[in-house]
Amino acid sequence: MITQVENPILEIHDLTVSYDQNPVLWNVDLSLPGGKLVGILGPNGAGKSTLIKAIMGLIAPTSGYVKVFDKPLNEVRSRISYVPQRESVDWNFPASVLDVVMMGTYGKLGLFRRPGKKEKDIALKSLEQVGMSGFVKRQISELSGGQQQRVFIARALAQEADLYLMDEPFAGVDMSTETAIFQLLQEMTAAGKTVIVVHHDIHSAMNFFDWLIMLNLHLVASGPKELVMNEELLRKTYGGKLNLLTRVTDMIRQKDFNPLKS
Amino acid sequence: MEDFIYFFTFQDPSIVWVVLGITLLGIGSAYVGTFSFLDKKALLGDAISHAVLPGICLGFMLAGEKNPVYIVTGAFLSGGVATFLSSWLKRNTKLSEDTIIATILSVFFGFGIVLLTSLQKSGNPEIAGLNSFIFGNAIGISESDLMLYGGLSLVIIVVLTLMLKEFRLMVFDPEYGKAIGFPMKAISFLFNVLMILAVVIGIQAIGVVLMAALLITPGAAARFWTDRLNPLLILAAVFSVLSGILGTYVSFVLPQMPTGPWVVVFLSMFALISFLISPKSGIISRYFSRKKYLRKTHRDHLMKALYKAKEGGKNGLPVEEIYELYPYQKAETSKSIKYLDRSQFIVKNQYVISLTEKGISDAMRIVRLHRLWELYLNESMNIAPDHVHDSAEQLEHLITPELEALLEKRLNYPTLDPHQETIPRENHDLR
Repeated sequence: MITQVENPILEIHDLTVSYDQNPVLWNVDLSLPGGKLVGILGPNGAGKSTLIKAIMGLIAPTSGYVKVFDKPLNEVRSRISYVPQRESVDWNFPASVLDVVMMGTYGKLGLFRRPGKKEKDIALKSLEQVGMSGFVKRQISELSGGQQQRVFIARALAQEADLYLMDEPFAGVDMSTETAIFQLLQEMTAAGKTVIVVHHDIHSAMNFFDWLIMLNLHLVASGPKELVMNEELLRKTYGGKLNLLTRVTDMIRQKDFNPLKS
Repeated sequence: MEDFIYFFTFQDPSIVWVVLGITLLGIGSAYVGTFSFLDKKALLGDAISHAVLPGICLGFMLAGEKNPVYIVTGAFLSGGVATFLSSWLKRNTKLSEDTIIATILSVFFGFGIVLLTSLQKSGNPEIAGLNSFIFGNAIGISESDLMLYGGLSLVIIVVLTLMLKEFRLMVFDPEYGKAIGFPMKAISFLFNVLMILAVVIGIQAIGVVLMAALLITPGAAARFWTDRLNPLLILAAVFSVLSGILGTYVSFVLPQMPTGPWVVVFLSMFALISFLISPKSGIISRYFSRKKYLRKTHRDHLMKALYKAKEGGKNGLPVEEIYELYPYQKAETSKSIKYLDRSQFIVKNQYVISLTEKGISDAMRIVRLHRLWELYLNESMNIAPDHVHDSAEQLEHLITPELEALLEKRLNYPTLDPHQETIPRENHDLR
């Protein structure tokens, strides 16, 4: 059940990704329309984060390619914003909330130029959007998990991009914050932005997303929520890994080289 | 004392040069070192500083004399090889990082010592100066050497200042840097170059063995005082420069003394002081704030006892009875009574202590928080009434007025706690 679209904002063509020898995503081929709130669903270890990282060019794919806005990634990076997983950084780093959010403006600034008043204003506005205006000067290690998550989202907003890729932005976030952030994301998509979110909870996925990508090492489904949210596809996604695929993966891992790499 | 005045009034132009050199070196290495400390790469600095020794010896052999350009180039190249080798091994083997670094450090240093020993046997009269590279000798540095080292330090300082934003990103979130299209590999390569440079220019003053301390200790000590990057860098530089100058002074007064170990002694002093007395994370201030907290809890408990007596119809408790409530804590109890008396929470009337108006109001607050928390545990978390007391005994000192308001609202302004005791409020008839 894979719905392809005309004039996609994001096109993933036959993408296979491996860590060292270990293939973690097999032949993902999909295209996404613009202005949608897109959820990536799948069990632990299904390759959700890997897919996002491959789209951002943080992992080189074994085969296949990604096109964003019909262009190679490096030409349109300034229009794409990325929210990494919260645990991927050391929150004891000596920085204030504002320092971190300002990083969102670095991309447009480019190398060597220092952020100034304009960048600060953008950062403050982004913090206001996620409801963190009261924490501007706070040391980042003093924040709760949910607040740290919101700081990361504010940093992504400060990038003023057209496509947003968020890796588990709701991990460790309480219900009311989750709803508030979802509302913010819906406002963004209503304004024509595209937001892709790696997500865990099927229940809230049903409520908020327009489009769903279901992964379990391979692409199970990609399409409008109404079309793909059914029992059969959910079972395929969450009903355990394909036994044969896992065994092939194990076999490849034991080799000294990756036979999938050309 | 004469030496002290002579040194610190900078009458001697050669002392001015040395102090200037060590200041630049201190700033440069503290700057680089703080970033590598934040990046958790402290060990790499140690490995590099040991690994430059063979380069120094080879530079000396090629030049046939103590030529600073040869020696700096040799040291830089061998530090570079060590850095490259360690990241290559990390990428291409399954060895863990600490194994790789320990191996690189000892192999390079061992090779360096072999070269140094064979040079010493060669009978070259210039060899005497080479020994100072092991533990450093700031006083022995010539003016032309200083120009070279100072110039390189300036390069480090300028590059790091210009690229503060890039290096901040490199340490905090390199993935994100890559995602916004920054050349993170080049940035981290440049950082490694700066780190090797910092080591190379420090070796003559501090020595290969201890150079890592000049890189890492200033940042580590400064971290106790601040949690912002810019003040951290400045403070680290201050520690480093002060230690550098003091160390140089010692080796000026006592000519046999190598500079490096003394710089490290002063640095360690700064680190130790920071560890002990820094206001936020120093152990002494933590000890005192804990003690202060315990005193307050003791006073709170005393007030509660008086309030409960009042609930039982007794207007006050005899002093003796209060002491008996807290066996083995007589001194504490007497301190608490004095404190509460002074702040007019209680009055003493012929060895009977009772609460004042102000005291009742505060005691009520503590009892109220205690009982509200008990009720919350019981109602919202399904904890049995006989299991809620201990937790409430701790939380009653911590709950803020905002949390109290939240509890009241959540529990809908209850009148009774799980033990059917009244939750007291200001308009309560006990007053």
